[in-house]
Order: sequence, then C-alpha cells, then structure tokens
Amino acid sequence: MNFVQRIILLIGLIFPLCAHAQTKVTLNFNGANFEQVVEAIQQQTVYHFAYSESKIPKHQVSIKVEKEEAVKVIDQLLLNSGYTYSLLPNHLIVIRKNAGGMETDSVRFLKEVVITALGIEKDNDKVGYALTTIKGSSITKARESNLIMALQGRVAGLNITGVNGGPGSAARVLIRGVSSMTAASPLFVVNGVPIDNSIRGSANEYGGADYGDGISNINPDDIETITILKGSAASALYGARAANGVILINLKSGGENSKAKFEYNSNLAFDVPVNSTDFQYLYGQGAQNKRPADLYNAISTGLLSWGEMMDGKLTPQVDGSMRPYAPVKNNIQTFYRIAPAFTNTLSLVGGNTKNNYRVSVSNLDYNSILSNGALNRKTLNFYGTVALSPKISLSLTGNYIYEWNKNKSYLSDGPLNPNYGISALATSLDQSILAPGFDAETGFESRWNADEYKTNPYFLMNKQADHASRNRYISSAVLKYQLASWASVQGRIGYDSSWDELVSILPTGIAFSINRQGGINAYDQNSTSELNSDILFSATRNLSDKLNLELSMGANYRERKGNSEKIKGSQFKVPYLYTPENLITSTKTLAISRIVTESAYYTADLSYQHFLNFSVTGRYDIYSTLPANNRGIFVPGVSGSFIFSDLLKLKALNFGKLRLDFAKTSGEPIVPYTTQIYYTVDDQVNGTPVGGFSSDLPNYNLKPFTLNEIEAGLDLKFFNSRLDIDFTYFNRVTHNEIINAKQSVTTGFTSAYVNLGETRNAGIELALGYTPILTTTSKWQVNLNLTKVKNTLLSIDDNSNYTLTGTYRPLNANTALVVGKPITQVMAYDYLRDASGNMIIGSDGIPKRGNFIPMGGTMPTLYGGITNSFSYKQFSFSFLIDYRFGNKILSATEYYSYVLGLNKATLVGRETGIVADGVLENGQKNTINVPAYAYYPELATNISALAVLNGSFIKLRQATLGYTFNNNFLKRIPFCSIGIDLVGRNLFTLLKYSKNIDPESQFSPTLGYAGIEGASLPATRTFGVNFNFKFK
Amino acid sequence: MVMRKWCVLGIFFLALMGSCSKAKLDRINTDPTKLTESNYDPNSLLAQAQLKYANLGYYQLLYQSTMMQLLASTYYYYNNGDKYINVGSFTDYQGRIFDEGYKDASSIREMQRLARLKDPVAYKNLIAIGDIMFVLVLQRITDTYGDVPYKEAVKAMQGIKYPVYDRQEDIYNQMLNDLDAATAQLDTEKPGPTADLFYQGDVAKWKKFGYSLMLRVAMRLTKSDPEKARQWTEKVADKTFTDINDNAILLTDASSFNSQNGTSLALRTFSDYLEVRWSKTLIDQLRNTNDPRLSVIGEVPKDGLAKNADQNLNGNTDAAVQLGMPNGFDLQGGATDISHSPNYPGGTGSGSDFAPLGKYSRPRTAVYLKLGGPIFILSYAETEFLLAEAKVRGWNISGTAKQHYTNGLTGAIQSLAQLDPSATVDANKITAFVSQNPLDESNTQNALASINTQYWVATGTNFNFIEAWLNWKRSDYPKLIPINYKGNVTNGTIPRRMIYLSTEVLNNPQNYKDAVARIAGGDVLTARVWWDK
Repeated sequence: MNFVQRIILLIGLIFPLCAHAQTKVTLNFNGANFEQVVEAIQQQTVYHFAYSESKIPKHQVSIKVEKEEAVKVIDQLLLNSGYTYSLLPNHLIVIRKNAGGMETDSVRFLKEVVITALGIEKDNDKVGYALTTIKGSSITKARESNLIMALQGRVAGLNITGVNGGPGSAARVLIRGVSSMTAASPLFVVNGVPIDNSIRGSANEYGGADYGDGISNINPDDIETITILKGSAASALYGARAANGVILINLKSGGENSKAKFEYNSNLAFDVPVNSTDFQYLYGQGAQNKRPADLYNAISTGLLSWGEMMDGKLTPQVDGSMRPYAPVKNNIQTFYRIAPAFTNTLSLVGGNTKNNYRVSVSNLDYNSILSNGALNRKTLNFYGTVALSPKISLSLTGNYIYEWNKNKSYLSDGPLNPNYGISALATSLDQSILAPGFDAETGFESRWNADEYKTNPYFLMNKQADHASRNRYISSAVLKYQLASWASVQGRIGYDSSWDELVSILPTGIAFSINRQGGINAYDQNSTSELNSDILFSATRNLSDKLNLELSMGANYRERKGNSEKIKGSQFKVPYLYTPENLITSTKTLAISRIVTESAYYTADLSYQHFLNFSVTGRYDIYSTLPANNRGIFVPGVSGSFIFSDLLKLKALNFGKLRLDFAKTSGEPIVPYTTQIYYTVDDQVNGTPVGGFSSDLPNYNLKPFTLNEIEAGLDLKFFNSRLDIDFTYFNRVTHNEIINAKQSVTTGFTSAYVNLGETRNAGIELALGYTPILTTTSKWQVNLNLTKVKNTLLSIDDNSNYTLTGTYRPLNANTALVVGKPITQVMAYDYLRDASGNMIIGSDGIPKRGNFIPMGGTMPTLYGGITNSFSYKQFSFSFLIDYRFGNKILSATEYYSYVLGLNKATLVGRETGIVADGVLENGQKNTINVPAYAYYPELATNISALAVLNGSFIKLRQATLGYTFNNNFLKRIPFCSIGIDLVGRNLFTLLKYSKNIDPESQFSPTLGYAGIEGASLPATRTFGVNFNFKFK
Repeated sequence: MVMRKWCVLGIFFLALMGSCSKAKLDRINTDPTKLTESNYDPNSLLAQAQLKYANLGYYQLLYQSTMMQLLASTYYYYNNGDKYINVGSFTDYQGRIFDEGYKDASSIREMQRLARLKDPVAYKNLIAIGDIMFVLVLQRITDTYGDVPYKEAVKAMQGIKYPVYDRQEDIYNQMLNDLDAATAQLDTEKPGPTADLFYQGDVAKWKKFGYSLMLRVAMRLTKSDPEKARQWTEKVADKTFTDINDNAILLTDASSFNSQNGTSLALRTFSDYLEVRWSKTLIDQLRNTNDPRLSVIGEVPKDGLAKNADQNLNGNTDAAVQLGMPNGFDLQGGATDISHSPNYPGGTGSGSDFAPLGKYSRPRTAVYLKLGGPIFILSYAETEFLLAEAKVRGWNISGTAKQHYTNGLTGAIQSLAQLDPSATVDANKITAFVSQNPLDESNTQNALASINTQYWVATGTNFNFIEAWLNWKRSDYPKLIPINYKGNVTNGTIPRRMIYLSTEVLNNPQNYKDAVARIAGGDVLTARVWWDK
C-alpha cells in the first residue's frame, strides 16, 4: 500500500459515511424552474451538476416522481428542450446546449467554470491557485448594510472588520494578512470592471464620522457570485491594485430563452443595541469621594464616578432636579433604540435566443440605533446582451445608486459624538435627564459635564444636521467579436463615477463653538471617477490531441480622477440658517487628483491531457504617479496544477489536485503628486498672503514596489465529493515598499516618502467541507475554514525600527510598524521595575512609567469560521460560528474607565486610599497613601499597558431558519417559489477577554487605526425575516 | 483576411489607449491646484512662520498662563498649569512649542532656500530676516526644553534624518553669532519683505528687532554665564527699541477662518469663558501698587450664569470691584472647591443661574478676546526692563537703571492701548503712577525684584505668558507661592521646563535619549534647562 492510499484510508476511517450512494430522487414540482429541480436532485443524490446559470432550459417544469433514477428524470426533462447532458466520472452531470452552437461553447460547458482575473473563465479543475466563490444567495437573507460584512468568517484567508459607526459604515478587508505597510482594500471588480472602493471619510483619535466605502453601495440582491482571488498568481493580471488581493463580483445576468419573470425579495430586520460593559455600580457620581452637593458640582462631575457609596438618598442632578443616588445600569439600552431595517428588491429577467436582460430596483431603509440616524439606499440595476450578428455580441450593464445617510454618528474622542457621553456617564446618572439637551428659550446646549467638547447626546439627537449623499453610476459596455471558432477579441469600457455631498453642521447653540454660534464643519462636494478601457484577445488551440493552449493578451488604460471642493467656517450670523453665506468666516479649498496607469498583459495556459496544466502570466505597467525614470515595470507569474486523481484512479478519491505557483506583483504610491514639493497660499491675514508647503519630503527616485508570492495547495475530494479539503500554503514578501514614513519634526518635514520597506506574510489556509448526512429528505453539511498567518515587518528603511501609525486620544500609547513584529503593533508603557522585579513608585505615590514596548499585534494570527447547514424536507437551518485569536486592542474605553472611576478595578482603596505595592526610587518600601480618585487616573496615564486588551473572540455570527413552500401549495398561487427565512446576525459572543468593550469595536477602517477602540456605537444584534417570491 | 482583422484590432487598440507620452504623464502627476518652486514667491512663507509662531492659543494657556499665576481657572483643562497635575489627554500640549516651533523653523529655511535659488541679492533682507526669525523660534524652543537640535535642525533636504540635540550652551553661542551676522546683513536701501506681519516690510524696524532679540538672548545667560551676558548686552544696548511703536506685534484677522486669534478662540469657548479669571496674585500686585492698569484689564461679569456666559455683555471695569481668583481650586465639591478658598466672595445669581465665579475678574472681552486681536512678540517695555537690570548689575551701558525702569513701566502701560483703544490709560495717570513707583535701588535684590516683577506684569497683561514664564525662570521673580494640589506631579513646585515632544522617542530615538541623559532628573517638568541654574 503506498503512502497516498494509507492517508486516504486513514481519512476514510475518520469520516465513516452512510455508504450507500444515492442515485434516486423523489420530486414533486409544478411550474418550477429548471434550476430548482437540479438543486433538488443535487440535494437528494450523489450527483452534482456543472452548467452556466444563464444557459440552461428556461421552460417551466412540472414533474412528479417517486424514487426514480435521477438520470432518467433528467432525460425526461431535457427531452426536446434544445439541451443535452453528459454523465462524467465522479457523478458529474454536465448540462449544455445541443450541438450546433459554437464549438467553444460546448468545450466550455464540459468544465466547472470559474471566473478569474480580467473576467477570463477557466476550468476550475485546472486552476493553479487558490480562489473561493461565494453565491450571492448566501448573503441576501441575513443582511448587513455593507454587504462585505456578510462574508465575515466564511472564506479562508479573508479578514473583515467593520466600523461601529451606524448603517453603511466602512469595513477593513484584508486578504492573507497585511500584505504591506500600506495595505488597503483589495481591488473590487464588478462584472470585469474595477470599481472605486475609497473610504469617504473616517474617524481618528480626535473624532470624526465614518461615511462608508465604495463596496457598501452594491445591492446584494443583484449579485450572482463573489469570487475571492487570494494569491498574487490569481490577481497578477490586475497589477498594482491587486497587491491586496482581488474580489470579483459577478452580477446577475439575463435569462436566455425565458419569458419575463419577476422575483421579489423583502427583508425586515431589527438592530438591537448590546451593552458590552462591566462597570462598577457601587460608587456613584462625584469627585474626591464626595457626591454632588449642588447643581454646579453635578455638572462638573457628570462624567465622574468618584463619589460616595450609592445609598439611594436624593442627590442634585445635572438638570437641577433631585434624584436617588442609585445605580443606573441600563443607559445603553434606554438611550439607543431598536432600529428597523427594511429592504425590498424587485427584479425582472427575460430574453430570447439572441437578446436577454435583467432589471432590478431596490430600496433600503436602514435605521441607526441612534434615534436621529438612518441610511436610505436606492439602486437600479440593468443588464442586457444583444447579439448584433452571429459573431458580434454587445453587453451593457448599468448600476445606479443613490444614498442618503442622515446624521452619521461621530465617533472616537471628539465633539459631536453622543456615544462618548452615554458610554462614560457617571454610574448614578440616568441618561434620560439629559433630554432635551438644549434650553428651550435660547437654544443653547444644556451643560451636563465639565467639558463641552463632550457634546450633550440629546442636543445631538435633536439638533444634529449631518448628511452625506451619493449618486453613483457604474456602467460597462463589452463588445465581443468572434474572429473564428477558436479566437475572439473583446473591447470593454468601464466607468464608475460618484458625486458625493457632505454637509456637517455645528448647530447653533452648541457649547464649544465661538459664542455658541455654531459653524460648518464640512460642506463638501466631491466627485470621483474611474475609467478603465481594455481590449482582450483570446484564442484556444489544440496543439496536438493531448496538448491544448489557451492564450489571452490585452491592454488596459486606467484613469482615476478626483475633484473636491470643501467649505468650512465658523459663526452663523443669523441663528439656525446653516448656509455658507451665513458664516462670519469661512474657507474654501479645492483639490484635484489624477492618476493614469497604462498596462499590457498576457496569460498563456498549456494543458496536457486535462491533468497537467501550466500557466504563465506577464504584465507591464506604466504609472503616472512615479518619476519619469522609474515609471515602468514588468511582473511575471507562473502557476501549475497536477490532477493526480486522473492518474491514480482511487475509489475513495474523486478528485485530487496539487497546485504550485509563483507570482510577482508591482505597486505604486497610493496618492499622486509625491515627487515634488508644492507651495500654496493657504490664507491671508489682513490682506497679507500666508503661504504654506507640504510637510511630506518628496522622493525624486521613487520606484514601484514589488511583491513576490509562492503558493502551494492541495485540493482533495473524497467519497463522492462528500468530503472536500482545500489546503494552501503561502509565503509572500514585499520589496521596496513605498511608505510615507514619519520623521522627526526637527528635520523640517514630518514625513518622507521612502522606498525601502519589506513585509512578509506566510501562512496556511484550510477549507474543509463535509456532508455527514445525505438522504432524500435531509442533509447536514459542515464547512470549516481556518487561516493561520504570520506577518512580519522585515524592514522599514535603512535605519528606522519604528514608525507610528495610529493613536488614541489619551496619547500615551499608539500603534506602530515595528521591525521584526507583525503589522501593526500596539506600543504602550509598562511598569518600571527594579532589578528584583519590584514596581518603582514615584514621589507622588504612583507607579512609575517603564519602557515603551511592543504589546502584540492588532491583527489576528488565527481566524476562521464554521458553518453548519441542515435541511429537512422544506426546512433549512444553518448557523455560523466565527473566531479570531492572537490580536490586541488599544482601548480608550478601558483607559477612561480608570480615569472616570468606572472600572471595577477602581473599587480597591476607595475608602482607604492606596499604598502601591513597590519600592521608592531610593529602594525603600513605598508607604505613600494616595486617594483612589487621584491614584487610578494617574496610574492609567502612566501605565498605558492597562489599556491594552486581548482581542480574541468566538462569536455566533449568524443563524438562519428557512422554510420553502411545497409545490402543492404553490399550485394555486402565481408563484413558482416562496421562501421565508428567520435570520439573526451577531447573536452571541461565546468568548471574549475584553470586559468593557466588544472586541470587534472599531472607529476607523484604516490600517493605521486597526485595533484602536473608543467611543463608537455599541455593538448590535440583528434579528430579521426574509421573504423571497419568484413569480411564475 | 486574417491580416486585415489584425490591423483593425491594432487601430482599435491604439485609439483605446490614447497612449501617453512622458511629458503628458509628468503633467498628469503635477498638482494643478498648487504652485511649484519655479513660480512661487518665498515671501509668503515669512507670514506663515510669523503667524504660526505667534498664534499659539491653547498652547500657552494650558500651562504658562496659570503656572505664572497671571490667570487662574477651576476648569479641568487648565489643571496642568493651575495645579501641576497631568490631565490625561492634555499632556501633549507640553510638546506643542517643540512641534510647532520646528514647523515654523522649516518654513523659514524653505523660504530662504527658495530666495537663494531665485535671487540672493534681491532677497537679501528676506534671507537675513529669516535668520533672525530662526533665532526667535529656536530660543523659545530651547528655553522651554533645554538641549534641542539647532545646527542640524530642519535639514531634511540635506539628508539629515536624525538631527543631533545640541547643548543649550552651544545653541546660545550660535544664536548670538547668527543674530549678529543677520542683523548686520540688513540693508535699508534694499527692498524689505512683502509679506511681513510684524513690521510690514520696514527693514529699519527689523534691525532694531534683531538687536532687541539679541539683548533678550544675552540676558537669558545672567545665571549661567553672566560674563557673556554682559559682553553682548553692552554690544547692543544702544540699538534696541526706542519706544512702543517699535513693539513687534502681530495683528490677527477676525475675518479669516484660519487666522483668528487663537487665544481669543480658546477663551471664548463656553467653559473657558466661565471659568478662566485673572489670578489673585496678579490682581493683588496691581491693587497693592495702585496700578492704573487695574481699571482697564479686568471686568467683573454681570450677575448670574447666563449673563456670565454672554460674550456681548460688558462687565464692570471699576478698579474697586476687581478681584483675582486664587489658583489651585476647582468646582468639584471637595476640599479644593473654590467655595472653600480663603475669602471666597460667593457667587452671583441663584438656582440654575448661579455663577460660582461670578465675582472674580476676567480678562476684558473687548480688550483680550478680540478674534482679530493683536499678539505681542517682543516689546519695548521688555527691552527697557532688561537694560534696567543690566545697569543694576553694573554693566557699561548708557542711561540709568531708574530711567530704563521708568521707560519700561511707561511703555508697558502705554502698550495696553495697542491691545485695544479702550484699554488706554490716561497719560497723566501713567506719569503719576510711574513717579510714585520709582525703582527700588536700596539693594540689588530689591531692584531685580522690582524690575522682573514689572516684567511679569508687562508680559502677563500683554498675554505673552510664555515670555513671562521664561523670564521668571531666569530671574526667579516675582516670588510666586506654588500650589500643592492632591495628585500633582511636581511635588508642589512650579514646572521649570516642558517635556519633549513624545514622538521624538520614536522618530529620533538615539539623539533624544542622549539629550535626556544629560538632564539632571530626566525628561520631567521639574528639571531645569542649562541657563536656569
């Protein structure tokens, strides 16, 4: 027995199967579509199907059979339909059009086709690199306002973190670790055309709001499949923008030979706020161990819980009333609302043999748990294909999106953020007494704490005026000309343009503005466009009867333009009139950015008898963002696959493939204009111009950076494909990374563009699918994915070991790029200790600050998820558990919980004061007694390591329970299918280490702020119901 | 047939690409909304450096204003300076003079680089003024922190990524030499700077400014190197400011969003407006000497919280009712609540309109909180007080100590009118006050105490708090009684330096560590800079 056989035997023992292979089906359909029947057969039998959804029979199916052989059923179904099928080894049934069509078509339909880079369809068997495809239908039931969030925990290698900023907030998407020091979003490609996924504004340590990203605009109901290209080999053809991976979104297309059919989907969900804190509720509002004695004390201690032991006695409140001095534990639940979200999509599909189309309209109303916020999104999607002649076809897609985001919440530690106040309220203060937040007569914000930069939450609920709107049009036109049966050429133009408006007002009466006259924070108009035009020539040739060559070559012109006009100003002359003209002072800035990339590329795939495949790719890019002498770069890639199951012919092993590839990708600076210094006149003082210049030191010798990746993988399918394993190892190193490295202000420039960094990501990905139960009526399927990744920053530049990336408002800790450590690293101050390990206590009685040290990475090193799906007759049930381990959080909430007396740890020494256990600088034992209210704030300020938390978690991410009505029921009504699903998302945290926060809480999607937390919206649970109707 | 197809394909391809030439790509990568060095006038960078140097706002309020007991506040923002405790989020203000200073220095050097590149002769004065500005900026930095980069500062363009922290002693030698050379370069026959917010291009005034600054630099050395202080003081004594019209003042612009007066903006913020008052120490000093400034600098707000908060409502300026607020108190209801302060006068208003600080004098809104108000850089009063001290020390300069002292005192009071005409003190009152308060020359210490106390009053009433602090460190006058608040980080002493900008630990680690190793006591508020023995 050889080694492989032993392994297979071993696996066979681990997964004992219900050995009888099912081939018979029981069906009862009346007026169903073909796909439903195929799905039913697939569910009940060992067969699986390969077909293209747009190219299957469109006629209605009525069939009733009892324990019939499936192949006979298919025979019957396809009779005179113009379609035929082939039964291949491993129970693969391929459905294709009758001969008479083009040869390429029939060749293609013999394969399980996947869409790869540039929209090139490839035989999945032969692909030499890792990719994962997710069906659109799997993310439409349990929804997120940003569709990408629905992929959390589902795909090996994919790490997604959302911002807790209300509906439509941006997400940080990372594929295979942090590819580089500036790793940003992967490239999103919709129907073959790259789209813009830039972030429209996010918060930092001083506040700000999250205005979402580009991908969140897409309506999930329009999506057919999402394919994640993880490695460089997969994405090499996209060049620079693929340095962080590529996510291909394939929208639904028209129905060939189908009468017009409607589909309607309706989803109603509710977001429920979750209190993630575990604060102390023994001591109430106050300072210096005293409860408020009068109104003024109450106001100055609104955010301080350093008072007395709560005893229920009447105590002055911030609104002048008297209330019991008693714990108020439910401020989060009572301040935030249960927010409904309602999404409706109606689509129409149809077509004949030559032309087909799909049109959909949708409306989303997603309310924020903050009572003044909501997102409305309307999308209109069109797809059409016209055969202009037998050889020429034209496809058009258009996707119009309108978004209106009302009162996007401010986050982090700055004014206008209602969340800060609610999360830090004194333990005996009831949030409801802050209402209405303003004086009825003057309109001035009501005072409620010592710091007017912490805006009254109710003032915001009642007065905030902050609106972001977007009009976006994503369109493409593809003209394809079949030169010969073996060659085609295609020209494509894709255009993605957005017009954004942002109005952010400091309302009249807001306390921190000059004379409470308010102002305009932002009055911005931005437009962004991304044009891609490309041409692709494809040919396929059998070089001999065993050797086949597929060749594609093409060229691309990309142009990205951005225009922005921003107005800011202060003091409205006339109250409540929020226009720029009504400001006493204002300033306006204009910015224009333009990037052009010209590229040419090729890919050649050689396959020998199906089982041995070899592919080479090459790409040449010219980047406008680089200096003339360094603009162009060529990057090659090779990949190969070996389908050893074709040779081994083992009974248990249906399919076995070994993959190996190497690829290089290049990259450019993410912003234009970094190669010289620019000068401006920023302002004028009484007529004198005040100049300025950029504080980024330019680099006249910038060159593209490169990224080399080696990937090896194994795909295995056992036992009639009831067990499949997909294993990948990858190792990726970037060279000459372009970073805007911070440098000492004493150099005259605060940062410099350098071209020297190196980063490595190495790891494994494992996806495992197993079907323990498979009968005619029931099925249980388990999908598990796991990613283990080790990221290491190898170097920054010649002599830096450290560069700062993000920080939090207390400013005594930050995140940074640290050589030898994973990106990004939390840096904080530890205790100062003497040689024998004793804490050293300062003359003020507080432990002294020691070294500023790396505390751990902000990215998980091990993450993934497990999905269990059950179906029984018309019921289906599934749940997803996902997990993340090995990451640290820098938590502002934790820091402030010490400063404000909320943390349970601050209960120690409240009555007696604290004598810190350590030695004084002179070596003597510390005897200095410090009151708790002075000790803990200073302790947390000195020892920022206290704010560094373990971010690992296990969550029950999603559960759905569905019911599909049977055909007997549907006979009498005009639907061919009705599905109802009860859904829940973010249901429970099964494990976490952070006591006072949700471990996923974030205020910014950018890499620099990864792992930094503070004063964002509370986490939410979502409960909902989804209805899907397909009309006959 | 096949060939024709290929040709069609090729043409389509080219049309599609519209392939760009090198020049076109260069143009695409040039920001159309900004200027490049070839078409930029370096003058406007002078205005940038001046505005940013002067317009510090909170940077001077949070520490120096209350540390020097010129202002006092119960508001926790000010606890750093008022009570010497670290208020978590605001300790970064300690590093702002450093941070902002080097940015200003960078503007100056970039201005000079462009000027030299374009026309070193035509821009001769601008280049020399740049050197004077550089010293002005760097002196404030080194006086605040101690050893800092000077020789290698702002030389990123020359490839210096990690500037060495020079010893303060060396910096002082270099500053004096640089000032000497730059002032000599100034040529009144050549055009002055065209974007000059101090003197509107008056080169003669810049010459006086150069010498006056040299006097201040020299006089800082009285503790650590009195001999050098003497040499340089004697060298410049006759060339400094001659009256208050020479005062270097920057006028901010109320109509400009980015150039409004930062201090006014800060103090007009709601809590600041309610809780920042003149300090008891300053008001008592004025009252005890019958100083006529008492009736122009302060106002007691009208009764009640609402009226306290109304920035359009003038208060009572009557000297008799002015009352300074003691430093070191809060409004939190504990032992240090202002109501427990000695002689607490009570508040005004009642119920929800109660203003607990309502009887204390605040800086007059109409004088000090103008959004387009002036900022004092260097004044005639300061230079005259320094000359008075030099004379008291027996150095060889013209005039008498008494005369210089009288000039200083007169100049200080007269210059209040430069803040706002409503702060003008009647000339007769000034003369009367000055003659009633001659310099006490009974002994050197008394003389030094009088001079430097008046220096403190002059800079304090000009809202130049940083200079008040620096001269206090140098002279140790006036004798301020420190606050000892629970949880303070200085053992109840007034901070004598600021902590380096925190990012230096990361961005210039070795040089930072070397500099810290040279400070007795480490990088803390209680350590002293070299000249502050």
